[in-house]
Amino acid sequence: MRKRRREVLAISETELVQLTSDLDEMHRATLPAMQAAAVEWAGELRADAVALGQTRTSRRRFLAGGGAALGALAFVACGSSKGSGGLGNPTPTDPTGAPNGALAGDFAIAASAASLENLAVGTYQAALDAATAGKLGNVPPAVATFAATAKAQHADHAAAWNSILTNAGKKPVTGVDLTVKNGVVDPAFGQVTDVAGLAKLALVLENVAAATYLNHIGTIENNNALKIAASIQPVEMQHAAILNFVLGQYPVPDAFAKTDGFRPMGDQIG
Amino acid sequence: MAVDEERYLDDRALTGLLEESQDIQSDAMVATTEPLAEMVELGHERRAAGGFDPAEAGQFRDERRRLMRRSLLAGGALATYGFGGALLRLLETPAFADQALDVQMLQTSASLENLAVATYDTALTLPFVGGDSANATVKAFVTTTRGQHADHAVAFNNAITKLGGKAQANPDPVLLDVVTKAKPTLTDASKVVDLAITLETGATQTYQNNIAALSDANAKMVTASIMGVEAQHVAILLAVQALLKADKAGLINLDPGNVANLPDVAGKVGFPESFQKTDMARAPGEGAIK
Repeated sequence: MRKRRREVLAISETELVQLTSDLDEMHRATLPAMQAAAVEWAGELRADAVALGQTRTSRRRFLAGGGAALGALAFVACGSSKGSGGLGNPTPTDPTGAPNGALAGDFAIAASAASLENLAVGTYQAALDAATAGKLGNVPPAVATFAATAKAQHADHAAAWNSILTNAGKKPVTGVDLTVKNGVVDPAFGQVTDVAGLAKLALVLENVAAATYLNHIGTIENNNALKIAASIQPVEMQHAAILNFVLGQYPVPDAFAKTDGFRPMGDQIG
Repeated sequence: MAVDEERYLDDRALTGLLEESQDIQSDAMVATTEPLAEMVELGHERRAAGGFDPAEAGQFRDERRRLMRRSLLAGGALATYGFGGALLRLLETPAFADQALDVQMLQTSASLENLAVATYDTALTLPFVGGDSANATVKAFVTTTRGQHADHAVAFNNAITKLGGKAQANPDPVLLDVVTKAKPTLTDASKVVDLAITLETGATQTYQNNIAALSDANAKMVTASIMGVEAQHVAILLAVQALLKADKAGLINLDPGNVANLPDVAGKVGFPESFQKTDMARAPGEGAIK
């Protein structure tokens, strides 16, 4: 195996800004259809008062999955990022309860998803900032491109979920999943000193997002919301595949996507 | 929102009907062979008309139910079997219609997996994919991916049999034609990758559509758990394709030190859209057993 490293180009802030700008047009192509679906969903919910806060979710599924999910995420974080720690013991929550104020059911799923996406956006932005500041050593062009592209796509995902909330008269979620941030991201990010460490942390986040969306697909009631989740889950899986490739790990390790590590509703958002 | 009651299996109604006659279900299946074939044709017509919109699934199910009723009445099946209204009520139960649609979608999914297995098998016979001159990483990827598709086919067929349907052992007939025509042109790894991208993209997008149309919870989760894996296959194939086009085949390996040499396009080519599209999805009944 070749270990010799060639000289690589560090990406300047100007280059990163230009890179992000170049990506805007690509993202714009897919946003209208997704926003239309979100508007359609919100319209359906407004038209049906039963849906407002009363969309049924599978209580048994969440109760069964929640505990396992916390342990799995902690395991993943410990295994993927040395010394990063896990989630510890977050406060158990009633998964059919009303996190984020009065939100429940599919609205709570939208809020939870938006908070995870916001966390991903913030993490990738922090990574780009650290790269620009030279804190990660030489950052290969492919890694800088990955971070900028993934960040933009997660922002699009968050916007899709938030448009559902705002079109239904709810407040958008601008906060992040604090349970994951405080339990996993912050401890791990503090120890990231190079591209490989960053990629490992990103892989944890992407796997959590993919697992959470897979779980949502099994619980979402509204068909338009289901379509949104189903259109995002494979993209998170693709992010994970490329990160595995970058890390020198087999990129498609499982024949079936898993819900291990999914985040149950009830994570703190802020 | 209002719960779509048509999506729930009416076990009590089904049990009651079965108590009227021990043989009614098997007889009904025989009697509905023709209308089910018509449903498959309807699916083909919809595909020919420009693809499948999950939002139309409900209408599709209604049309299926109407087809069954019309066909049975026209064929005199009710009089022949002397079932009176019992058979008609059974066939009109949402559970029956929904399961028929679910089975068709699952059979199509299994057919896509069967085709993928066969295609990767063929690829592995090519010297530049499975031979001594092949890139070891590409060969390992093709071998592993072939195995994953075989696992997917088993999973889809298990879901089919749980719904009382017949397992699909054949490949998707439309895409099989595409593969057959492509075989003589597979003269280098890049062309094999192009063909694989077509098949994998078609599979993941089909499953994305089906997730929104499937009524059976198990079928939906099986499909969802496979959809993302096919998307990962697409991502890696797109990255490999980009490296081949950039004449950087030497970077196709799992050396962690590789990242420093990867071109910037490798950081984004694997996930070209924020939201996966469905423009290459296959029709839900395309691979159904006729």
